[in-house]
Amino acid sequence: MASPSQQLPPGWDAQWDPTNNRYIFTGELLQLHDTMGPPVAAGVPPGWATALCFPTTFPPPCQTPPICCGQTQAYYGAAEGALDPNYPPVAGLAPQPAAPNQLFTPGLAAENQFATQQTQPAPGQPQYYGHQPEPEYINAPGYGQPQPAYGQGPVDALANQFGHMQMGGSKPMLHTTNLLTDPPIPQAFTLNAIPTTSSLLAKSKVPLALVITPYRSLKEGDEPVPLITDAVIARCRRCRTYINPYVTFIDGGNRWRCCMCSMSNEVPQLFDWDQVRNQPGDRWSRAELNYAVVEFVAPTEYMVRPPQPAVYIFLIDVSHAAIQSGMVATATRALLENLDRIPDEEQRTKVAIVCYDVSLYFFSIPPGEGDASMLVVSDVDDVFLPKPNDLLINLAECRKSLENLLGRINDMFRENTIVGSAMGPALQAGFKLMNPIGGKIMVLSATLPSIGAGALKNRDDTKILGTSKESGLLQAASPFYKTFAIECSRAQVSVDMFLFSAAYTDVASLACLPHYTSGQTYYYPAFNAARAEDALKFAREFGEVLAMPIMLEAVMRVRASRGLRMSSFHGNFFVRSTDLLAMPAVPQDQSYAIEVQIEETITSPFVVLQTAVLHTTCYGERRIRVITLALPTTTSLSEVFASADEVALATLFANKAVERTLTHKLEDARDFVFQRLVDILIAYKTSMTGGGASAGLAISENMKMLPALVLGLLKNVGIRQSAQIPSDIRAYSQALLTSLPSQLLIPYIYPSFYSLHNMPPEAGSIGEKGVILPPALPLTSEKLERHGLFLIEDGQTIFLFDVLRGGKTTLPILDNPFSQRVNAVIQKIREMRRGVYYPHLYIVKEDGEQALRLWALSALIQDRSDGLPSYQMFISSLKEKVITT
Amino acid sequence: MGAGWLFLFAVLWSAVLLFGMVFFVIMFSDLESDYINPIDLCNKLNQFVIPEYAAHALLPLLFLISGQWTALLFNIPLLAYNINKVIKKNHMYDATEIFRTLGGHQKESYFKLGFYLLSFFYYLYRMIVALIAENE
Repeated sequence: MASPSQQLPPGWDAQWDPTNNRYIFTGELLQLHDTMGPPVAAGVPPGWATALCFPTTFPPPCQTPPICCGQTQAYYGAAEGALDPNYPPVAGLAPQPAAPNQLFTPGLAAENQFATQQTQPAPGQPQYYGHQPEPEYINAPGYGQPQPAYGQGPVDALANQFGHMQMGGSKPMLHTTNLLTDPPIPQAFTLNAIPTTSSLLAKSKVPLALVITPYRSLKEGDEPVPLITDAVIARCRRCRTYINPYVTFIDGGNRWRCCMCSMSNEVPQLFDWDQVRNQPGDRWSRAELNYAVVEFVAPTEYMVRPPQPAVYIFLIDVSHAAIQSGMVATATRALLENLDRIPDEEQRTKVAIVCYDVSLYFFSIPPGEGDASMLVVSDVDDVFLPKPNDLLINLAECRKSLENLLGRINDMFRENTIVGSAMGPALQAGFKLMNPIGGKIMVLSATLPSIGAGALKNRDDTKILGTSKESGLLQAASPFYKTFAIECSRAQVSVDMFLFSAAYTDVASLACLPHYTSGQTYYYPAFNAARAEDALKFAREFGEVLAMPIMLEAVMRVRASRGLRMSSFHGNFFVRSTDLLAMPAVPQDQSYAIEVQIEETITSPFVVLQTAVLHTTCYGERRIRVITLALPTTTSLSEVFASADEVALATLFANKAVERTLTHKLEDARDFVFQRLVDILIAYKTSMTGGGASAGLAISENMKMLPALVLGLLKNVGIRQSAQIPSDIRAYSQALLTSLPSQLLIPYIYPSFYSLHNMPPEAGSIGEKGVILPPALPLTSEKLERHGLFLIEDGQTIFLFDVLRGGKTTLPILDNPFSQRVNAVIQKIREMRRGVYYPHLYIVKEDGEQALRLWALSALIQDRSDGLPSYQMFISSLKEKVITT
Repeated sequence: MGAGWLFLFAVLWSAVLLFGMVFFVIMFSDLESDYINPIDLCNKLNQFVIPEYAAHALLPLLFLISGQWTALLFNIPLLAYNINKVIKKNHMYDATEIFRTLGGHQKESYFKLGFYLLSFFYYLYRMIVALIAENE
C-alpha cells in the first residue's frame, strides 16, 4: 500500500474504497488513548465533512506530528469539489510535495485541473518526483479519469513549472463543470497553510481571508447537515467556541481542551448519554466531534424572543410602466403558482401585499373565502397603516381569498396611467406592517422612485461613462436607503429588490437596501412579459426565491485561534459589532468574505476558525450552525505559496475590487487588483527563484489560473474599463460580485466555452451523472470556426453562436438528435449551477446584431477587446512589472 | 488689554473642545469593546460633529476680528480640513461603514485631541504674556 517514498504516519493505513473510487485513510487521534474507544474513522459517508479523514499528502519527516488526522487535498481541489469534495481541509499536516504532477500537458491539464495537487516542492526534496508507484491515492481521480503517466522523471521540476507561464505557452483551461456532481463545500481559505508570523504573511503578499457560504442549497442526493437535537452544547468557557472535532480530551475524558485558547473545560454530563435511545452512548459518534458542519438546536438561552414566523410582504409597483411591461401580471401569476412553495410547515407564515404607484394600496384580506377590500392611502409623507389587522394575514388561513386577490390585481390596475413611484413610502409602510416581527420584504419595481422619502433623480449621464466621474454614479444617491436599511436590520427585516425597467432605475442606490439587510438584488433590464423568455426567467427565479427556506433573525460570528483577528467583512449584512454580523434573513448560496490578520506569532501547529450562525429556521426552530475549519501553520514561505487557493483569492479580489470602487474609483479598483497580483508574483519570484533573471513568469502550480481569473475579473462588466456599460448594469454586476458563492462567481468572471458542433458523441446524452457536457475550450476566439455552433455561459447568460436566428430566444426542440443533444446540454447547464438564477439564452449570429455579438465576444476574456488586453498581453504586462521590479 | 480677555476666553474654549474630543475618543473605544452598537454611536456622535466644527471655527473668527495673526494662522489648517470635510459631505459617521473606517476616525480624533491640547497651552502662554504686558 504505502510506497516507501510516501510513508504514512504511524497508526494510519490506506484502504481502497471502490464505491467512492478513492482511498480511505484510517487512523487514530494520537492523543486519544483512553477508555473512550477508537474514534470513528473509516467508512465516512460522503457529505458534510468528517474530521477523521483523508490525508492526500503526507507530512515530511520534519513536520510536527499531527494532532488530528491528515488533511484532505486542501487547496483548490477541495474548494472546487473535485477530489474528495465533501471534506474541507482538516488540520494537521502541512502540504508537502508528494504529488508527481509537476508538469502538466495542456490537453490532459483540462481533466486534471482539479485533481492536480498544488505542489510547491521545497527545494531539496526531489525524491518525490518522478517515479511514483502509486499516485492514485494522492490525487485520487475523482471522476474516474485516467491518471496520466507523468513518468518523465522531471529532475528540474521547478524549472518546468515556469514553462507554462511563458508567452504563447499553453493556455490552461479552467474547468468549472466538475463542480456539479458534488455538493460544494461551504468554505475556503485563501491560504491553506497559515504563516506563523505576520511578517511571513506580509512577505508572501498573499491576502489571508476566509470565503464562506454558510447556507448552501441542498439538491437531491446531498446529505443534510447533521443536526444535534439534545441541547447539550459544549462551549469553551473563555473564548466561547463550540466543541468541534479538533479539541482534545484530557483527564481521562472528563475535560476537554479548547483548540483555540487552550483552556481546559468540563465535559457536560449529558455528553455521553444518547438521548435518542435513552442509554449511555458513545461520545465519539456525536456529530459535533465528527463533522465540520453541524447544526445544534438552540435552547432558550439563545433566544431574545420566541422564534419568529416567516413573514413575506410584497410591494408591487402598479404604475403605468409596470402594468404595460406585464410585470404585474407575471408577478402575480408567479406568486399564485408558488404559494405552495413558500415555507409554511407550521402554518405560521404571514403574508401581505401592498401595491403602490403614487399612493399606497393596502389589501385587507379576511380569513376564509371572503373578498379582499382595497384601502387607499394617498398621504405619502406620513405613512400610516389604515387598518390595524387583516393587512398582514396568515397564509394558511386566508389562502383562498389571497388567491382570489392575486388573480384580480392585474385587472384592478390594468387601466392605470399614473406615472411615478412612491417606493420609499411603500417601504416604510411595509416596515410598519412587519415591525414587531421581522421577515422579508420583496419589492417589485419598474420605475424610478419619484415621490416621498427616498425619491431618486435620473442622474444617468452617458457622457461621463468611461471617465473618472463614472464612479460617482455607482454610489448611493440618497442616504435614505442606508438609514432605512439600518432600521430594517434592527427590526430583523430583510429586503429583496426585483427591478424591471427599460429606463434608468438607479440600481446603485436601490441595491444598498438589500446589501445591508442581507437581501439580494435581481435586475431584469428591459423586461417585457410579451417575450416569453423574460416572463419565464422572472417566474422561475421568483419561484426559487419564494421557495427558499431562508434563515431568519440570524447573527454570525467568526472565531479564530489566538493570534488571528478578523479585520474586515465583505458581503450582504450589517456589521453589528466588531465581529458580529447581523443578517435579518439569510438566503441560500450567498457568500461572505472575511479578511484575517495575524496579530501575534502563532505557536501551535494548527489554527482553527469557527463560524457560528445563530438563526431561526423558517419552520420556527432556533438553531446554531457551526462550521469549523482547521488549517496547519507553517514557517516556510514555500509552503505558504504552495497552499494558496486561487478560487478563494479570486473571490476575495472581486469583493475588494467592488469595495474599492465605492470608496475610491473604478480605476483605483482595477489598479488595486492588478497591483495585488503583481505583488504576489514579485514575492514569489524573489523568494522562490532567488530573484535571478528569468525569462518566464514564475508562479506555483496551484496559482497558475490566478492571472486568468484576475484578467476575467478586470474584464467583468462590473469593473471593466469601458464607456458603454450603463451604470445600472455595472451596479448590478457589482452586487453579484460581492454576493455570489465561489462556485457561481468563477464562471461569472471566467465563463465556460463549449464547441457544440464537434462535441464528442457522448456529450449531450445522459451519462451516469446526468447529461454529459462537452469538453470546455479556452476562452479565445481562435477557437471559433466558421459555421460552427458554440456555447458560452457565465451563470447569468448563455450565448449560442449560431447561424439561424439572432436575439433572445428559446431554442426550438427540433427532431434531429443533434438538436436534442444541444438542448440537453443547455438544460444541464441551467440546472448545474446551484442558485436561483435562470440564465437567458441568446442566439448570436455571425452577421447579426453587432451589439449582441460584441457582448457575447466580450465573454471570451482571453481575447483582446475594446481596448482591454488579451491574455498574452496581460501576461506580458505582468512580466514587465515583475521583472523590472 | 483686550488681548488678555481674548486669550482667556480662548483657553477656556479650547478646554471645552478638548473635552469634546475626549468624548469622541471614549465613544470610539466603547464601540471597539462592544459597549455600544454602531447605530447608537453614530446617532450620538453625529449630533456633535457640526457643533464641534462651529465651536472650533469661532476661535479663528475671533482672532481674525482682533488681529491676532499668529493665532489665526495656527488655526487655519484645521479650519480648512473641517470645511473640506463638510464640502465633500464626509463629516457624518455612517453606521454601515463605521467598522471599516474606524481606524481613520480614531486617528483623526487623537490628532485633534493633541491639537486642542497644544492650542490650550499656547493660548495660556499668550494670555500670560498679554497680562504681563498689560501690567507694565
